[in-house]
Amino acid sequence: MVRANLAAGYLALAAIGFSAEPVAGKFTCGTCHRAEAQTQPKTAMGIGMELAPHQTVLQAHPKLTLERKGYTYTIERNGDQSTYTISDATGKFTLPIRYAFGVRTQTFVLEYQGRFYESMVSYYANTGGLGATVGDGKIEPHNLVEAMGRETPDTEINACFGCHSSDALTNGKLTLDSIQPGLSCEHCHAGAKAHMEGLEAGKPAPLPKKLDRLNAEQMSQFCGQCHRTWDDIVKLRQFGEVNIRFQPYRLANSRCFVGDDPRIRCTACHNPHADPVRESAPYDHNCLACHSQGAPPVAGEGVPPAKTCPVAQEKCSSCHMPKMKLPAGPMMFSDHQIRIVHPGDPYPN
Amino acid sequence: MYRQGVKAKPDWPEGWWFLGLLYYESHSFNEGRQAFTEFTKLEEKAPAGWAYLGLCEFEAGEYESALTHLDRAIASGARPDPDVEQVLRFHHALLLTRGGFFDQARQELQPFVQRGIRDPVLIAGLGLNALEMRLVPQEAAAQRSLVEGAGQTVYSWIAGDSSQAEAGFRSLLAAFPSTPGIHYLYATYLLAVRPEAMNGELQRELEVNPANTRARAALALRLARAGDAAAALPLARKAVEERPDLAAAQYAYGVALTEAGTSHDAIEHLEAAVRLDPANLAHHTALATAYSEAGWYERARLERAESIRMARESRGPG
Repeated sequence: MVRANLAAGYLALAAIGFSAEPVAGKFTCGTCHRAEAQTQPKTAMGIGMELAPHQTVLQAHPKLTLERKGYTYTIERNGDQSTYTISDATGKFTLPIRYAFGVRTQTFVLEYQGRFYESMVSYYANTGGLGATVGDGKIEPHNLVEAMGRETPDTEINACFGCHSSDALTNGKLTLDSIQPGLSCEHCHAGAKAHMEGLEAGKPAPLPKKLDRLNAEQMSQFCGQCHRTWDDIVKLRQFGEVNIRFQPYRLANSRCFVGDDPRIRCTACHNPHADPVRESAPYDHNCLACHSQGAPPVAGEGVPPAKTCPVAQEKCSSCHMPKMKLPAGPMMFSDHQIRIVHPGDPYPN
Repeated sequence: MYRQGVKAKPDWPEGWWFLGLLYYESHSFNEGRQAFTEFTKLEEKAPAGWAYLGLCEFEAGEYESALTHLDRAIASGARPDPDVEQVLRFHHALLLTRGGFFDQARQELQPFVQRGIRDPVLIAGLGLNALEMRLVPQEAAAQRSLVEGAGQTVYSWIAGDSSQAEAGFRSLLAAFPSTPGIHYLYATYLLAVRPEAMNGELQRELEVNPANTRARAALALRLARAGDAAAALPLARKAVEERPDLAAAQYAYGVALTEAGTSHDAIEHLEAAVRLDPANLAHHTALATAYSEAGWYERARLERAESIRMARESRGPG
């Protein structure tokens, strides 16, 4: 009886050579989804952040310093601890770095007198040193505490931990004792834990929602929970080059963004279980899925036909998605507002 | 002298104007109303005449016509003396609350707080507005402690004094735990400071005041935004059934339907929200998203462009 109920789940297990008998405690997502389970934890999303003492970026850079606006910033590694020191002519103070957000470039969340602060300086991989944290460059600190970091409201700090870690929030409140760096399967595939627990208990296991059924707009909303949605950026009024890093917003403003066409959704180009490909050519087939002779037309009200490029049929994104530097930091991003770029054109939106 | 003058020469506008001002200054509002009625017959393009007529009517307790005439003074575009304009705006806001135009009234009351004005009538006006009571302060004597308490709390909130605002809410909730509007007001405050506590207050509001459609719509919107479309949909549907003219209800239902993956059904309600409150940016962005999700390409592009234009031209974060 139990086996009949679990038929669908165990067929998958049997196919890869596992026992179809439920064995308590032995199921993981990787039992069935082996390829994803092997690659995803090593990705930027899978790592998400580094907790003390396992801070590989700071281990590789045991002393970092920066002079900025009359203050000296020093990040040092001593044993298995990293510290953040801020000093000026009036004195100095040091805080431990418990939370280093990011994988290559890192910003630090600091705790001071029961409140959280976003560090005023970040480590940037492409310069190998410290620089002003993106978004904080215009702040003029008046004392050591203000120079140390920007006090972050609860809603913002919850969003930081919510997107860089798993199990850090329970019912909307921070529960840092249970924090797991990076995004677990459950983070995107809500219901995955219950699904596994059902398998372990030998009970019918409801499947998590199928994300591959989302259309382009729905997926932009989904991924935009962390990468910011089009709606978020408009409401925050983050216009100009500062929004280059918010891909769902840029993509939605593209002429070729058709909300119900899966060929333009995030996962059409990006495998969320692997790090993004940096070269241009591997994405060509995604562009040609619409912009080539014989490509299926896009259905929908008022959608113009996709033209073929008169210039080239390869490395499309190198022209149509130019890489741009974020104005307030050294990081580069591919502009996801796909378009015909003319020299001298102003930055759109 | 002016009384004799206008008797001898009834088409003398200056006579009616100064006579009206004298009556207004001496608190003879019925007589002032008559004088300004005559003045506006002769000088119907003078906004100050409509302003004083409305103010006299307000003081005489003729609230409906007062709102009509203050609306006319403001709509004329011309600006009277700054002091008169402040008085005009203030009374207009009180009348808007009485007329049920709470959001518009709130926008007109806020600048008085931001300018540091602390006046008992302003406090009462803020309280009535916050509790969505369709009264002017003069009509609310029986509920004075409730209205004043709410007004003081909202004053602290607008002024950015969060510790006073928190203390005010604690007192209000302790003194009036079952009074309609208090939990809803607290929920709107929590949105910015402790959003995770907001749903509980909205539920408590609906327990003590099941007729509060705004609370129902707000709770539906919160649930839909959190991804719980199943819980949001019945609440939002009921809110729209109760108040199809309430933009917040149409918006919440549209967002819930979008969240449920039925963007085609959502469009009708989001379009209604835009019609009812076209200045609300959130309505436009939600409609753009619903159009896009439904594959209505051109409408999505137009609505996105409109949203970006509105956002660029209006104040807000960023």
